[in-house]
Amino acid sequence: MSGIVTANPGGDTIRSVAVDPYSNRIAVTSDDKAVKVIDLQDTKNIVLLEGHTRGVRRASWHPSGTLLATCGCDGKIIIWDVSGAEPKLEKTIEGIIPTVIDTTRLQNTVMTVRYHGIQPGNTSWWPRGPTVQIISVSKSTWSKSTTYTSGDLSGAITALCLSPNGAYLASASKSGVFIWSTQDRKIKYRFNEPQVATVTQIVFSPSSNLLAWTDMDGSLTRWKDPIPKDAPSPHEVQKVEQTIRSRARAVLLGEATDDMVDDAAGENEKGPDFDLDDDMLMDDDFVVDDLGGGMLDDEPEVDKWKGEGVREMVSVTKAQPPFKPGATPMEGKRRYLAFNMIGVIEATDQDTHHIVNVEFHDKSARKSYHFTDYFKYDLATLGERGAVYSCPPDGDHTAHVAYKPYGSWATQGEWTYDLPPGTKVIGLAAGGPPPRKSLLSKSDVDIQGNGNVVVATTEGDLTFLSGGGVERWLMGFEGEFVSMVAGNEWLFVVFRDGSTSMDGSQNLKCQLIRFADFTVVQDKRLPLLKGHTPKWIGINSDGAPCVYDSAGHLHVMHHFSIPGRCTWARVLDAQRLERRKGKGETYWPVGVTDGNLMYLILKGRQEHPGWPRPLIQDLPLCMPFRRTDPKEGPMEQQFAIETLHLDALRDALGPDELASDEIAAKELELG
Amino acid sequence: MALPQSLRTSVTPPELELIASEQLIDIVPLVTMEKTAFISGAYGPLRPPAKARVPLWIAVNLKLKRKCHIVPPEWLSVESLQDKLTRETSNPGFSELPFRFAEISKVILDIASDDLENPDKIRTLLKDIREARQSKSREGISKLDHSELGLSGLCSMEINEIRPFFIKGMSVLTKLIRDPEHPPKLDET
Repeated sequence: MSGIVTANPGGDTIRSVAVDPYSNRIAVTSDDKAVKVIDLQDTKNIVLLEGHTRGVRRASWHPSGTLLATCGCDGKIIIWDVSGAEPKLEKTIEGIIPTVIDTTRLQNTVMTVRYHGIQPGNTSWWPRGPTVQIISVSKSTWSKSTTYTSGDLSGAITALCLSPNGAYLASASKSGVFIWSTQDRKIKYRFNEPQVATVTQIVFSPSSNLLAWTDMDGSLTRWKDPIPKDAPSPHEVQKVEQTIRSRARAVLLGEATDDMVDDAAGENEKGPDFDLDDDMLMDDDFVVDDLGGGMLDDEPEVDKWKGEGVREMVSVTKAQPPFKPGATPMEGKRRYLAFNMIGVIEATDQDTHHIVNVEFHDKSARKSYHFTDYFKYDLATLGERGAVYSCPPDGDHTAHVAYKPYGSWATQGEWTYDLPPGTKVIGLAAGGPPPRKSLLSKSDVDIQGNGNVVVATTEGDLTFLSGGGVERWLMGFEGEFVSMVAGNEWLFVVFRDGSTSMDGSQNLKCQLIRFADFTVVQDKRLPLLKGHTPKWIGINSDGAPCVYDSAGHLHVMHHFSIPGRCTWARVLDAQRLERRKGKGETYWPVGVTDGNLMYLILKGRQEHPGWPRPLIQDLPLCMPFRRTDPKEGPMEQQFAIETLHLDALRDALGPDELASDEIAAKELELG
Repeated sequence: MALPQSLRTSVTPPELELIASEQLIDIVPLVTMEKTAFISGAYGPLRPPAKARVPLWIAVNLKLKRKCHIVPPEWLSVESLQDKLTRETSNPGFSELPFRFAEISKVILDIASDDLENPDKIRTLLKDIREARQSKSREGISKLDHSELGLSGLCSMEINEIRPFFIKGMSVLTKLIRDPEHPPKLDET
């Protein structure tokens, strides 16, 4: 023993001691209402944290060493900020743990603070509830985020511990010692021998697969290999977390919980859900993954994590999963399902159902509406004539696609299209000519028809349906689907022809397929640099396909209506914008019209727009020429953009016409 | 009209507001409109969600019918006004503000305060700026000369405020300069 750090003259029992991650200070909690934080180097340096009204039970440090969480008999969990010289009370959380009068029994409310490595910055705290619940509180919102319950648990939980890498939680109670997986909050393993005495403290070994605990009988039990070999080990940090977080990915489904389960445990789910999930848990180790994983059903889903043998680390470029331009993942129970130049579809998660809210930018043409959605649609798109939604298969119902046309007589034109069980929808598009009159007024069906709906399914095809719900065509797909968007006359599809390359290329191609006769008008590769992915695709007001990628380049297809003659014109370089200098902002495109890019500004590290809905900004397109003469430069750039527009107009003319009034006027302007 | 004699020659604030409403402002329309011809000019087309630049009176009209959102001009923000206020209080001269800022800000605060972030703060800042400028113009008037009034940077409403006074004052001073022996008779004002 090297010295006494502190002693309680009042004779209050010291309840717990916690050492901070840097081993500089310790926090001592006792039945005395103040928590003492003592500097180990200079034991006279004591900071008192006042705030609890009754004795303090347990203290726990945040891995960064700046925050300390304490829980007390008064039912409060107080978070202290002890980074500065003066401690301050950061937050008091009430209502989670009960007030305990009897201080003799070991009915503890324990807390473990652990940096939950999956989402950086989202620390989870585990105060235990009254009897059989383990509650996790999120650091960012200071409210109850998830609960761990199970029917197998009975009796008060007396000890808790997180595994070093955050993947498992061990709990000890009267009914035994259980190990939960933090991803799916379900019990995975339990200790075979029954528990007689109450366990006081349980802990995972930091470097090996070992769990140890002490109990009231005074015995120490060590459980070797609580986690079987074929499951992720509790102490090895999953390498996937770092590599994948560093790549900006469009995540389609935010509800990762159910699907993340299987991934964390190492099983590979077949089907596109695998791809649509939060990429972060796919293991880089598997060479199979570069083919987009679940898209190819030939690998059996189990036994991916073969513990025997040496696993080779081959770093293949992660294939970008299918994404929906204009959609965001579920964040805080809300998400955008679609955001384009016509309007916005938002979905709010109410656990048993979603509330879907559709709002249009042009309120004179279409009426906004909202409805309760019991199918939990996860893909939606706003076309010119109607909105299309699709849902994944879930329990009793198969995947289906629902079409709801706009207009006051909408319910007559609604239809749903069911898919066979096991098939999922991975892409949706709706397009057609814009309505001639306002859809608010009742009128007969336009002679132009009701447009087209296209569905990409896991059966490897593109299903074309007419606006009235009639199946028109089934086109077999020549690669792995990535994304698609429909315009007035054609469908722009982006897919992967083959697999990604070893050096960062996504190997993406695109096709422009005409609705009228299903011919391929263009078949081209995407102008992507190695290591970058497309972030948004769309069709501009001229009808030309546009792609915005993670390098900040916006490309518009030039001469898209002349078969086989198109090229990609780079019309914007977001990295070189004047307004971007000195600001850490990124852009989230919404549409391209009339020489302008319409987009939303995302500040800092934000990857998706949030609520309240940001205002759409516009930026004039300008070809990023390098020689920028202040006098002539802008004019030349403008000329280039106008040429793009003019060519589109000229191409759209029939074979007999040489020019139209519009073209003549524009040419005059340019000259 | 029921105005006293001295004020009958100058403009009233509502009239100034009308004149200021001709200025262009950015809006985010919620309805589509083709290029329409008005007396003062042709404006449009309006294509949501793209922004459009229309005169303030069109913006007010549309906003009252809930057919657009007004985008406040850059000077009408908390940071910009704060900056102007500090400049106003530290320098003896008048800070640079748009000539009709008082009218435009009044109109926007009245009908479109929901399109502004922190309208109450903006109101207090505007009031502070007005008071600071008022005190400066009061001092400046004491330096009234027969030929010039050196208050550069004064804005439309403020000029209108002191116009009757200094016109009369200048005319008296001119007469005094010309003929110091016979001071002119002052009317009851």
